[in-house]
Amino acid sequence: MDDLSVQLFFESWELFREPAIAAMLLGGLLGLLGVYVVIKRMVFFSAALSQVAGLGVALSFWVKVVFGASWLTSPYLGAAATCLIAVGYIMSQRTHASGGRDSALGLIFLLGSAGTLAVGTRIVQEVQDIESLLFGSAVVVLPEDFNMVLFTVAALGVLHLWWHRGFVAVSIDAEDASVRGLRANLLEWVLLLSLAAGISVSTRVLGALPTFAFSVLPAMAALKLAPNVPRAMVIAAILGAFAGFGGYLAAFLYQLPVGASQAIVAAVLVMICGGIGALITKSQKISPSAQPAR
Amino acid sequence: MKALLSVESLVVGYHQKGILPPVEFTVSRGEVWGIIGPNGSGKSTLLKTLLGLLRPVSGKLSRHDGLTLGYVPQRTVLDLAVPARVIDVVSGGLDRGWSFLNPVYLRRHKSQIARAMQDTQVDALARQQFSTLSEGQKQRVMIARALASDPSLLVLDEPTSAMDAGAERLMFELLGELRASRDLAVLLVSHHLPVLGEFATHAIYVDRDKAFIQSGEIKAVCACQPCMTRYGNVLGGKNG
Repeated sequence: MDDLSVQLFFESWELFREPAIAAMLLGGLLGLLGVYVVIKRMVFFSAALSQVAGLGVALSFWVKVVFGASWLTSPYLGAAATCLIAVGYIMSQRTHASGGRDSALGLIFLLGSAGTLAVGTRIVQEVQDIESLLFGSAVVVLPEDFNMVLFTVAALGVLHLWWHRGFVAVSIDAEDASVRGLRANLLEWVLLLSLAAGISVSTRVLGALPTFAFSVLPAMAALKLAPNVPRAMVIAAILGAFAGFGGYLAAFLYQLPVGASQAIVAAVLVMICGGIGALITKSQKISPSAQPAR
Repeated sequence: MKALLSVESLVVGYHQKGILPPVEFTVSRGEVWGIIGPNGSGKSTLLKTLLGLLRPVSGKLSRHDGLTLGYVPQRTVLDLAVPARVIDVVSGGLDRGWSFLNPVYLRRHKSQIARAMQDTQVDALARQQFSTLSEGQKQRVMIARALASDPSLLVLDEPTSAMDAGAERLMFELLGELRASRDLAVLLVSHHLPVLGEFATHAIYVDRDKAFIQSGEIKAVCACQPCMTRYGNVLGGKNG
């Protein structure tokens, strides 16, 4: 790595501060939330939601072009609306066989990605924004977007700190949680809606590709190292924040697209953590149970 | 003995369609109930209805004062790829209702977790990864998880399905000790009537194909014709 370039990056910190911090915060948030995605085996959920959030943003641009700007054309509103519809549809398929939910996620993913591309052809003046949305090539974050990131990270961070025992209980064994009187259905709804909120804001600000990467890869890496789910969440948040900031810095240093760079950094972290995890497992003597196996 | 759970004319099934005839029984503290019957006979449907996971098709299911449920699902429920130490699995069973919103609830109820682990003899395994345990140890950890919230009725779904005869006997002995020391009621689904017959006080025999269900003291249930036809006179030595 060229030290001069790193120096140049920090000399230009005023320019890069907001996008780099936004990526770090969203990487951290999605890293934490991603642990639920991975342990619930719903990796395709975040892929589908990031695509459908992209469609919501694209539709907002299109409505703005056709009908003029108003509060209704807020890209956040578009992303939130499409994500809400998608979560409602997924929850309605929950009682069906697991194949039903997987198929629903496939439908949402394809509708989201194909719809975004199709809507993109109708708003040629916003083509740059559509590309940013899909691949996360945005270098700049507007002040209002940065404020939305701060609000979202704070709100979801507090929610997940407070409710995490309930979310973990329904993610690991929803039937047992129900038997103990936890409102499993409500908890599932709130969990999925919070994921949808994080993913929709991240898709708007960073793009679909890094959003999907942050909501899966840091959690994968953390689960290879952590002894339990709460610690995996802490590690995943740190790794996600590192991937967000490090990916942005690497994009600057090596002139890479930002979203791709962030996804690559997150993927490298998975490989490193996988290696460390394997070494730890190997170095630990498999301690015999304190009692004979029965 | 104090009644915990009673059913009157209860019909269980799916989508408002009953799969078994109506049944009546009352589970009280200190009793051990076995739900027995062939594969696909409706045992799990009855169990899930009693747990509140399925709605009854008709009839009345009453939960009396003092009833708190602890549930031990089939062993395949927990994903072994998710990292969890024994202490994490057991602690995960502590919360009830909205207690997860209380940040100090776990700290205040540490003693319940410790007691559950001691009672099931898994306290020495606390720091071990759940996935590395033997089947018998895993099942004891799952029972400790169910005991962590201090239930009055312990419900187990085929707790010995992956065990050999020796381990199965140890498991039933453990359940017997827990019943006595905690004044628990125990309700379990089992295929293995010979061992169950030694420990259970009551039974429910279900057979969906024959549209048959009978509940009551184990001696009477095992003497019914469908049960005799299927299992023979298994309680001959003790109860018959």
